[in-house]
Amino acid sequence: MPKVKVDGVEIEVPQGATVLQACELAGKEIPRFCYHERLSIAGNCRMCLVEVKPGPPKPQASCALPAAENQEIFTNTPMVKHAREGIMEFLLINHPLDCPICDQGGECDLQDQSVAYGRGHSRYDENKRAVTEKYMGPIVKTVMTRCIQCTRCIRFAEEVAGVEEIGAIYRGENMQITSYLEEAVTSELSGNVVDLCPVGALTSKPYAFEARPWELRKTLSIDVMDAVGTNIRLDSRGRQVLRCVPRVNDDVNEEWASDKTRHAVDGLVRKRLDRPYVRRDGKLHPATWDEAFAAIAAVDHGGSVAAVAGDLVDCETMFAAKALLKQFGSSLLEGRQTGMDYDTSSLAAVNFNTTIARTEEADAILLIGTNLRWEAPLVNTRIRKAIKKGAKVFAIGPETDLTYKVEWLGADLSVLGNLPERLTDVFGKAAKPMVIVGGGALKGAHGAALALADTLGLVKDGWNGFNVVHMAASRMGGLMLGYAQKAGIAATYDAKLVYFLGADECDFANFRGVKVYVGHHGDKGAHHADIILPGASYAEKSGTFVNIEGRVQRGERAVFPPGDAREDWTIFRALSETLGHTLPFDTLDELRAAMALDCPELATLGLKTFAWNSPSLGTTAQGVLEGYPIKDFYLTNAICRASPTMQRCSAELVHGESFAEAAE
Amino acid sequence: MGIAQTIKAFTLYEFVKAHALTLKYFFKPKATINYPYEKNPLSPRFRGEHALRRYPNGEERCIACKLCEAVCPAQAITIEAEPRDDGSRRTTRYDIDMTKCIYCGLCQEACPVDAIVEGPNLDFATETREELIYDKAKLLDNGDRWERAIAANLAADAPYR
Amino acid sequence: MTDFFNHTVGLPYGWAWFLATIVGILAIALPLMLSVAMIIYADRKIWAAMALRRGPNVVGPFGLLQSFADGLKVFLQETIVPSAANRGLFLLAPIITFTVALIVWAVVPFQPGVVLANINVGLLYVLAASSLGVYGIILAGWSSNSKYPFFSAIRAAAQMVSYEVAIGFVLISVVMWAGSFNLTTIVEAQKGLYGFINGFGFNPLLFPMSVVFLISSLAETQRAPFDLTEAESELVAGYQTEYSSMAFALYWLGEYANVLLMCTLNATLFWGGYLPPFDWAPLYIVPGIIWLFAKILFFFFVFSWIKATVPRYRYDQLMRLGWKVFLPLSLFWVFLVSGVLMFMRVGV
Repeated sequence: MPKVKVDGVEIEVPQGATVLQACELAGKEIPRFCYHERLSIAGNCRMCLVEVKPGPPKPQASCALPAAENQEIFTNTPMVKHAREGIMEFLLINHPLDCPICDQGGECDLQDQSVAYGRGHSRYDENKRAVTEKYMGPIVKTVMTRCIQCTRCIRFAEEVAGVEEIGAIYRGENMQITSYLEEAVTSELSGNVVDLCPVGALTSKPYAFEARPWELRKTLSIDVMDAVGTNIRLDSRGRQVLRCVPRVNDDVNEEWASDKTRHAVDGLVRKRLDRPYVRRDGKLHPATWDEAFAAIAAVDHGGSVAAVAGDLVDCETMFAAKALLKQFGSSLLEGRQTGMDYDTSSLAAVNFNTTIARTEEADAILLIGTNLRWEAPLVNTRIRKAIKKGAKVFAIGPETDLTYKVEWLGADLSVLGNLPERLTDVFGKAAKPMVIVGGGALKGAHGAALALADTLGLVKDGWNGFNVVHMAASRMGGLMLGYAQKAGIAATYDAKLVYFLGADECDFANFRGVKVYVGHHGDKGAHHADIILPGASYAEKSGTFVNIEGRVQRGERAVFPPGDAREDWTIFRALSETLGHTLPFDTLDELRAAMALDCPELATLGLKTFAWNSPSLGTTAQGVLEGYPIKDFYLTNAICRASPTMQRCSAELVHGESFAEAAE
Repeated sequence: MGIAQTIKAFTLYEFVKAHALTLKYFFKPKATINYPYEKNPLSPRFRGEHALRRYPNGEERCIACKLCEAVCPAQAITIEAEPRDDGSRRTTRYDIDMTKCIYCGLCQEACPVDAIVEGPNLDFATETREELIYDKAKLLDNGDRWERAIAANLAADAPYR
Repeated sequence: MTDFFNHTVGLPYGWAWFLATIVGILAIALPLMLSVAMIIYADRKIWAAMALRRGPNVVGPFGLLQSFADGLKVFLQETIVPSAANRGLFLLAPIITFTVALIVWAVVPFQPGVVLANINVGLLYVLAASSLGVYGIILAGWSSNSKYPFFSAIRAAAQMVSYEVAIGFVLISVVMWAGSFNLTTIVEAQKGLYGFINGFGFNPLLFPMSVVFLISSLAETQRAPFDLTEAESELVAGYQTEYSSMAFALYWLGEYANVLLMCTLNATLFWGGYLPPFDWAPLYIVPGIIWLFAKILFFFFVFSWIKATVPRYRYDQLMRLGWKVFLPLSLFWVFLVSGVLMFMRVGV
C-alpha cells in the first residue's frame, strides 16, 4: 500500500494503482480521453498529464504511471495547466468545428474538457485534416474526421467484445480507425463503442440526429431483451423512448449493454396494440374495454382458466394474473412457452448460482448446450475475463464462435456420462469450477448436469458452480411465482380460457379454449387471440424483474402506453371487477405488498440466494444437440421484431445482406 | 376669490385660452407618421417576426443543432430532426409558438449558422391563435420573403459583433 | 308633399298624409345615420389632430370609411346577453336611446317650411323627448345586473336631470324673446337683429344663455368634460359595459345622433338656424339647409374641440356647476329677460 501525496494531501493507494487512480482517490479530477477503467491502458491521448516528483522535470501521463511510495503528485500547478492547454490545442487541431451537427454535442468529453481545460482559441490556421467515413455496420455511424485516435474502440473490440474487427491504419497525423475491410462489426456488443467514444466519431446510427441529451427525460429501468437484467437508462422525449443506454452496475452488466438492449427501443412505437379487440366471425374487431371485458365475462369456463406468461412480462403482471386465476380456484400457470418441462422443485437447480460477477473468478468452465454469445452476451464477456485470468473452457454443443478459445466436446449429450480425461483433469485441479447449462440442454441434460455438481465438485463452501442460463427476462420471476407446471405448457392446452401475458412464442394451434391476449405488440399472440387487451411494454410500467442469478431489480416507467393501452396489472384489476371477483389491491404498492406476501423473495430488491438442494432426476443424458434455441439474436421477441433497427441488424449481420450506404 | 379671478371665471378666460392652444395644435404638423403606408426606420438589431434563412444556393441553413430550442427562455421552439436522404442533418419539424415567444433574440444569438433570425417585420397579426403557431414552411417562407432586408441588417450589424 | 300624393298621384288624403310622413321620416333618418357615421369619423380625426396624431387613416381614402368598417364589424359580432341580465329590458334599453335620439328630429326646421312636424309647441316636444333619453341609460344600467353599469346609470340619471333644469330656464328666455314655442317661428324671430345680423346669440342679453346652453348640452349628451357615465378608469365602459354587437352600436349611434341634435338646437335657438349669419340679400341665395349644416358642423367641431381640450370633471364639480351656477344664473336670466321685455314692450 504505497503512500503518495496528491497536491499536498497524503493518501494511501492500493498496490498497483496508477497515478491517475491515486489522484481520483484523492478527489482530484484528471482529464482523460484514452483512459477507461474497464479497458487496458494505452496512454496515447496525453490529456492526463500531471507533475510527479521524484521524476523527470516534465509532465507525465498519469494513466500509465504506477503510483509509488513517497511520490508527490501535483495536479494544479502552472506546468500541468499549461500542459493540458497544449494537449487540448493539439487535439483540436484536426477536430472539426461541427459540434452543432454532431450527435455527441451536449455529452461530449472533448467539448466539456476543452471548456474546462482548454485555452479558448487556437493558433492553428492551416487546413484541417479530413478522413473518409468508415462503414461499421447498422449500429455505429462514423464521422471519422472527428476522431482523436484515443483507440478506446479498438481496445473494446479486442478486449471486451472479442472481435478483432476494429483497428488503426497509417501513422502520425494520417492515422485512421477503421473496421476490417470496412465490413460491419459483427459483435453483438458493438453499440458500446458509441458510449466509449469520447468524441462524436462513433455515434449511434438509428438514433442519428434524433435528440439532444438535454431534451431527454432519463428513467432508470431494467432491460428485458435477455435474462441478464441489464441495468439501463431509458431516455425519452414526450411519449417516445428515443434511446436506451446502460447504467453502471458491476454486479450485472458492468457498463455494457448488448445491441439488442440498446436499439430495440424503436420497436416500442411500432406495431403497438393501442385498443382492445374482440374476434367476431373469425375477424378481430376494435372494441371498447367494456365490450372486451364483457366478452371475457361471457366465457363459461367453470374454473378451467390458465395463464401463459410471455418472455417480457414483469412480476407484477404475472402476480396480478395469478391472483385473478386464484379467484376462480385455478393455478394453471406456465411461462415456458416453447414446451420446456424441466423440474422446478428447487430454484437453485435452475439458477445461475455462481452469479454473473463471480463468473470472472472461475478457472474451469463447462458450457452445456448454450450459445452464450446470443443467450447472454454479458455473461460471455465475463467468461472472456475469466479466460484472461487463466480459465479453461469446454463446451458441449454444435461448434460456434464464442469469441474465445473453447475446447469442443461434440454435440452428443451422452458425453456427460463419460467425461473425457482432459476435462476431468482440469476440473480436478480447479478451485472454482463452473458448469453452465443453456436452454438448449435443459430438456435432455438437466439431470445429468445436476449430477456433475457432485462428480466435478461444483458446490463448495462459498462457491456454487452450477448454473443455468435462461433466455427470458420473466423466467426466474415466473418460476418464483409458480409459473411452471409439471407437464409444461401442455397442461394449459385444455383450459377453457387462457390468458396470454404477452406470450408470442407458443404453438397457438394447440390451445382449445378462448384465448385472451394481454400484451403490447401485434405479434403472433395477438394474431391468434380471440380477445386482445392492450397492455404496457417494459418502458411503460414500473416492473419488477428477476434476472438469471436471482437478482430482483425494479425498473421505472419512462413513458405512458399508447392509446387506450393500460398498465397490465390495472387491466387485471379492472377485469376482476367485471367478473365479480374484485382483486384486493387498488394501487401498485398494494399489489406489491400482496406479492411480497405471496413470494417473500420478491419483497426486497437485490440478489436472492437459493439454498442448494439438488432434486433427484435421471442422470443419463442422451441425444444430440442439433442447434441452439436462439436462431436469430436480433429477432427474439415481439419488440425486436417490430424494430426496424433489429430487422436490419438481422438481415445484415445474421443473414449477410449488404446495404448500400448513403453518401455522406 | 379676487375680482380678477371672478372675471376670469365668468368670462371662461382659461377655457378660451386652452381652446386657443388646442386650436393652434390642430393646425400643427402631425407628430405621428401615416403608419401602414409609412414606417419609422428600424434598427438593424430590431427583433421582429422570425424567419429561417437559406444559403444563396437554396439550401436551408438550419442544421437542427437545437441550440435555439435549448436557449429559448419561453420554450417556444420545438424541433425534430432526422437524417435527410443525402445523410445531412436537417429538421423535419421546426415550430415556433409565436404566442409564447418573448422576442428576446436569444435564438438568433445561439444559432451557429445564422439560420433562425428575427427579421424586421413587425406587423404579422392574425385572426386566429392557430395561425401564430409557425411551422417550418412558414418560417422558410418568411426567410425567402425577407432575405434581402435580413441580409442587409446582418451586414449592417456585423462590425459591432 | 301630402299635396303631391293627394292631388298629383290621386291618393285619398289619409293615405297621402301617411306616405308623405313616411317619406319625410326616411328623408331625415337615413341621411342622419350616414352623417352620424361620418361625424364619428370627424370626431376622431379632430381629436387626433389636436393631439398631433393622425386618427383613422386606413379604411378608404383618408380613413373615411372607418366608421362603416367599425359598423360592419360590430354588426357581425355576437350579441351577448349576460345570463343574470333582465333580457327584455336589456335589449329594449338601446332601442329606447336610439329611437328617442331620432324622434326629436321631427320638429327641426331645415329650411323655411321644411319640417316634418311643424307643431306649435316644438320646443316643449324637444324637452320632453330628450328627457326620455335617460330611460335608455337607466334601463341599461339596471337590467345589466352588473355594478359598473348600475353606478353609471345612477350618475347619468342625476346628471341629465340636473342639466335639464338649466336647459329649461335657458329655453324659457329664448321662448320669451321669440314669443313662440314653434321652432320655425323662433328661427324667423332671429332674423334681422339690429337690422343686419341673424341670431339671438348676437344679442348681448342672450349671449350668456347661449354659452350656458352650449355647456349644458355637453352635459346632456354626456360628452367630455361631462362624460362621467363612461369614466373608464372608474366604471369600465359605464352603462355599456355589458353590451356588445348591434346593441352596443345602437348606443353609439344614438349618442352621436343626440350630439348632432344638440348641435342643431344650439344653431337653431341661438345662431339663426337655417338663416345666413347676416341679413344680407345675396346670402339668401344659398339654401337655408346649407347654412344650417354649416352651423351644425361648426358646433360639432366645438364639441370635439372641447373634448380634446378639457379634462373630465369630478362628479361633485359637475353637480356644483349644474345646481349652484347654471340653475341660479339661468333663473336670474329669466327674470332679467322678462324684465327687459316688459320694459321694451311696455307700450305694446
